[in-house]
Amino acid sequence: MTGVFESPKSRINAAMVSQFVNKPVCFVGRVEKVHPTGKSFTLSDGEGKTISVELNEPLDEELSGIVEVVGMVSNKGTVMATTYSMFRDEKGIQFDLDLYNEALKVLQDFPQHYPFGSSSG
Amino acid sequence: CTYIMTYIIVSLQCKGNLCVNSVIGNIRKIDGGSGPVRFRLMMSDGLHTMSSFMLSTQLNYLAEQNEVAPNCVCLVKRSVTNVLKDGRPVVIILDMEVVKPADQVGGKIGDPTPYVEGQSKAPQPAAPAPSAARPLQPQNGGPMNRGPSRDFGKKPMSAPNTPSGTSKVVPIASLNPYQSKWTVRARVTNKSAIRTWSNSRGDGKLFSMEIVDESGEIRVTGFNQEVDKFYSLIEQGKVYYISKGSLKIANKQFTSLKNDYEMTLNGDSSIIPCDDSQDVPMVQCDFVFIADLEARDKDAIVDVIGVCKSVEDVTRITTKNSREVSKRNIQLMDMSGKTIQVTMWGKEAETFDGTGQPILAIKGARLSDFGGRSLSTLYSSTLMINPDMPEAYKLRGWYDKEGHALDGQSMTEMRGGGGSGPTNWKTLADVKNEHLGHGDKADYFTCVGTIVYMRKENCLYQACSSKDCNKKVVDQQNGMYRCEKCDKEFPDFKYRLMLSANIADFSDNQWVTCFQDSAETLLGQKADYIGQLKDSNEAAFDEIFQHANFNTFVFRNRVKLETYNDESRIKVTVVEAKPVDHKEYSKRLIMNIRKTAAQ
Repeated sequence: MTGVFESPKSRINAAMVSQFVNKPVCFVGRVEKVHPTGKSFTLSDGEGKTISVELNEPLDEELSGIVEVVGMVSNKGTVMATTYSMFRDEKGIQFDLDLYNEALKVLQDFPQHYPFGSSSG
Repeated sequence: CTYIMTYIIVSLQCKGNLCVNSVIGNIRKIDGGSGPVRFRLMMSDGLHTMSSFMLSTQLNYLAEQNEVAPNCVCLVKRSVTNVLKDGRPVVIILDMEVVKPADQVGGKIGDPTPYVEGQSKAPQPAAPAPSAARPLQPQNGGPMNRGPSRDFGKKPMSAPNTPSGTSKVVPIASLNPYQSKWTVRARVTNKSAIRTWSNSRGDGKLFSMEIVDESGEIRVTGFNQEVDKFYSLIEQGKVYYISKGSLKIANKQFTSLKNDYEMTLNGDSSIIPCDDSQDVPMVQCDFVFIADLEARDKDAIVDVIGVCKSVEDVTRITTKNSREVSKRNIQLMDMSGKTIQVTMWGKEAETFDGTGQPILAIKGARLSDFGGRSLSTLYSSTLMINPDMPEAYKLRGWYDKEGHALDGQSMTEMRGGGGSGPTNWKTLADVKNEHLGHGDKADYFTCVGTIVYMRKENCLYQACSSKDCNKKVVDQQNGMYRCEKCDKEFPDFKYRLMLSANIADFSDNQWVTCFQDSAETLLGQKADYIGQLKDSNEAAFDEIFQHANFNTFVFRNRVKLETYNDESRIKVTVVEAKPVDHKEYSKRLIMNIRKTAAQ
């Protein structure tokens, strides 16, 4: 897991997960289901597609709303989270997942202008 | 011809609303000098002919498009008879239908002879008692009775009796400069305030009002003595008998009323309240969809109805002739899904209450091309809030159900960043590269900028404490402050802001000047509080500036090249500073990226 913080992370949505196996990624989505063990949960992206996130340690807080996860994509296509953070509503303004998804597409469509991904990406 | 014509010429002159079958003999176009073209027709009922029929101007198209041609058969649905000064009658046709075109008639019907007064007998009219003013007295009995004077269709306009001693009630649509004996019974839909003027030819005052009846509407103006005589009598919404005004060609620049004439009150005019007013319509509007305003000419006078989506605060501005006036902008949206900015002025701006997103109908607003398309109320405009009319209820229902969710693309360039209209977005580098402000007129642009520096020094000045005067005062050093503008001394003053700030975006930076409102937005505090701190707590005063540094705003700016002592400098003034709406900003950036990529 070391190296996730140091290396560049690609911002992706659920449809892109398969292209980033064994690569560090950043995923923002809405919390759908938290596993009773607290060691995994699912997130839905701006297109309504879901991924599952696995944690090393069980959650020690209630998770809801919009969450950003940083981690590595496993062979199974899940995200092994290194860290996560909850986005709280700022001044009553909700995070707009649709708009975020549009921004992701821009990053993907013009990688020459957004060289944030891992070197092979 | 299979039509059974009713012999009604005689009775036409007695009643305003007969339905008639007649044949046109002859059409003559009359050029009314500077006025509109009028058509005079000779008509026959098969027995008699009469040449003194006039088409009201709204029916001119019938003659212009040759629908009415010699020998065609027409159904006169509504008409009114006027008597000229020399006693000759003139029948004004208000509504008429061609029931059989000329080419299907095959010539003249019957062998009519010119009608001469008194030779024929007319049927007894059912409605009002003839007055002495009418030269063609209907006579009882006679052969004409077989042609019944049918009074079907429209309800009579002339039903209510006129006040004693006045001429008969005629529809507004029939008024023209060629006759003087008439009375109209009409509702006042708009009454202006009294305006005064003063020029080299003297002083004076005037007021105007708009009146409406079933047939149409007209603008009425009164000057000087007529102001004294009638102004206090007239109440908006009430019905009056009005007679003996002077009619002249309307100046379409100042009115949207659908009438080629307007009326001026004179010494002989009379205005008498009418109590029985139920059948007189309320205001007549011809609403235009906001989306359709794009296609209208600049300065057109239009009627609109819409939901008042948002209201800006009232501001005071000084006009070119240094008159101070209140002004307020609102955003109006209708079922076309578009919004437009409406500017109202004066008392209407001060008192307008937009809470609860009311329906606003405006009769006679002027269309401007300022900022794309916008509307401005005029002295003669009528504003109606939540008016009792079907359009308003329909709009309310639509807005509450679906309209409120629409973004409502604006026809007017919106100020600041929130708008979806064509704001003039520029980067600070664009402003310099494109030489904005170098033209004759100032340019306006909008940018997203971050404050990188503000000058604390001289950011406050002592201003006149009287309301609406913001002039800098002179400290008399005796506890009094003198305002040159008010020509008065006051024991106090108020602090106002004039802040120099340097703003930056990724491309460049720029010195800008912020006045009161925008400076308060940047600093996040009111001017009087900042002034108080400056005098009492310098550390707290400094902290306000520290705190405000590196905040980002959407700035709408005015830019103009100004020359002092032969030195030209670009001066940028902040018109408005608003917090960045990040969603809107992101959407715009994404759109720009996609647009650029597609090129």
